[in-house]
Amino acid sequence: MNPATETLLQRRAAALGNLPAMPSVLQSLGVCLSANPSEVNIERIVELISYDKALAAQCLRMANSALFRGRAEVESIRGAVLALGIWRIRDVVYSSALPNFLAGSDNCMAPPVFWRHALGTALVSQHLAQRLAIPNPDRFYLAGLLHDIGIIANSLLFRDEFARVLHRAETSETPLCEVEQQVLGFTHCESGRILADTWRLPREVASVIEYHHHVRAAGDSVEMSCVIYLADLLCRLRGMGYGYYEARGFDLASEEPWLILQSKYAAAKELDLARFTFELDQRAVEVQELINEIFKDKRIVN
Amino acid sequence: MALETIGTQVATDSADADVSDPGLLKLRDLIYRISGIYHPDSKFYLLATRARRRMTELNVATFSQYFDQLTTHASRDAEMRRLLNEITIGETYCFRSPAQVDALVKIILPKLLALPGKQSLKKLRIWSAGCSTGEEPYSLSILMMEEVLAKHAGWKVEIIATDLNENSIAKCNEGVYGDYAMRNVTPERRAKYFRAEGNRFRVNDEVRANIRFERLNLQDQSRMLFMRGFDLVFCCNVLIYFDRPAKQRTVEHFHNALVPGGYFFLGECETLFGINDQFRLIHFPGTTGYGKPAPGEEAGGKA
Repeated sequence: MNPATETLLQRRAAALGNLPAMPSVLQSLGVCLSANPSEVNIERIVELISYDKALAAQCLRMANSALFRGRAEVESIRGAVLALGIWRIRDVVYSSALPNFLAGSDNCMAPPVFWRHALGTALVSQHLAQRLAIPNPDRFYLAGLLHDIGIIANSLLFRDEFARVLHRAETSETPLCEVEQQVLGFTHCESGRILADTWRLPREVASVIEYHHHVRAAGDSVEMSCVIYLADLLCRLRGMGYGYYEARGFDLASEEPWLILQSKYAAAKELDLARFTFELDQRAVEVQELINEIFKDKRIVN
Repeated sequence: MALETIGTQVATDSADADVSDPGLLKLRDLIYRISGIYHPDSKFYLLATRARRRMTELNVATFSQYFDQLTTHASRDAEMRRLLNEITIGETYCFRSPAQVDALVKIILPKLLALPGKQSLKKLRIWSAGCSTGEEPYSLSILMMEEVLAKHAGWKVEIIATDLNENSIAKCNEGVYGDYAMRNVTPERRAKYFRAEGNRFRVNDEVRANIRFERLNLQDQSRMLFMRGFDLVFCCNVLIYFDRPAKQRTVEHFHNALVPGGYFFLGECETLFGINDQFRLIHFPGTTGYGKPAPGEEAGGKA
């Protein structure tokens, strides 16, 4: 990131009483999970999640939703932790805790729209990674969920300017990043990085947040950034976007992230992208059902 | 809109669709391999219902047995054709895909109208290949009247609509449609472009004026060579009946028939994967199409 941008963002964050702190349950969970794998305290994790009844209920619904469900339905937090494992449970807790945590703030983008895109990208990036036979596709989930977290940072730190950005992106049919650059002088990728560092998100996730629109710069996280970039785009094209019509056509197979993946994974050459896209419509229905459940009173029109 | 439809249909028909039935999964893969139509999970119930209609006719109890009939019986080709008929039945109605209409109006037409050379020629040419009973070309004609002729002075639109079947062409020429075909036609469009005749609707002459109906066999190589200079080609649920070499030949003809910068559209769940690599798969919001690169676009990038 350009040092001037970083200074500007940090000064702005400080002036506004700074960015929201990470929900305490996620902080505590992070501490638990940072232990050596053999020493992770499962009972402590169960206790942490069960402490907040509303969160525990949301986590159970999430664990049994199409995004996570395994073979059998889980009926308790303990059962969920055992069935899904600690890393998937981390994803469940993030997906359950964050949408409501930030919903009360003065957001420029309606929370159900933002989280539909976030959950959609999480799910689709995992599917895409699986199709490409990339090892451990589950690890793509969290990066997918959080890739656009900078949109929330922008909403909170630059409310009026960012509302103008969104309006202009919608009406001028210009990509969001370009409008952010014109109006703010930086993008949600950079402000997202600041939030990621504040929250001490995993290094790979922070890197995807910063580079998902400039995948070449992502260093070790280049393939994850490529997958997230494509999943993000596919979601926007298939009913899980920013809530407005993006009047553009995309030749995904000629986009740099796809070319990079193709050079690394033979399975990419065998993947029928049209068919993969048709399959997303069912995912969109599932994600929408979950969003309706999370935001019971606020339906998305678009 | 597509999602709403899917949502309600899943609710009523989901009992029919057992996604875990291995016979049904095999059937889905077979249809994908042979025809290029892929039934995603959201459309599984449709496949199950339609295959079951054939199975009742043949007195076959399970999807696995039916799969055997489609792969090992002497009559397998004929039966596959009947199943594909069953699968595509009911796909023909006016303004069938709202996402495709949006992509045409908001993304593709503005690009086509701005192509180099268009400003002096002021003419768009569209080919509806395998136009069946005419719903597609008439919808296109209405759309072009609204989006091109009404907004851009001096432009002309020529739609060539072809089908192999003479009875279908006769229906096209008649241009009279019932409720099913009209289900997606708004009251405003009904009033403006159709005349009510009892409980049916007849297309107005000005809508017809942009279209020429012709009988054409897409496998007739010599006639296909004369189909040239189109900006848009639509070929919905026709290639699915062709074997692989015939598909490849026909798609190559479509590619040659298009001007650089033109677009080719298939049916909603059809794919060209493994059939042709000259076209580029283009993703539009809610729909996909295939583009023939315009000069300067060959190097890749956004459409």
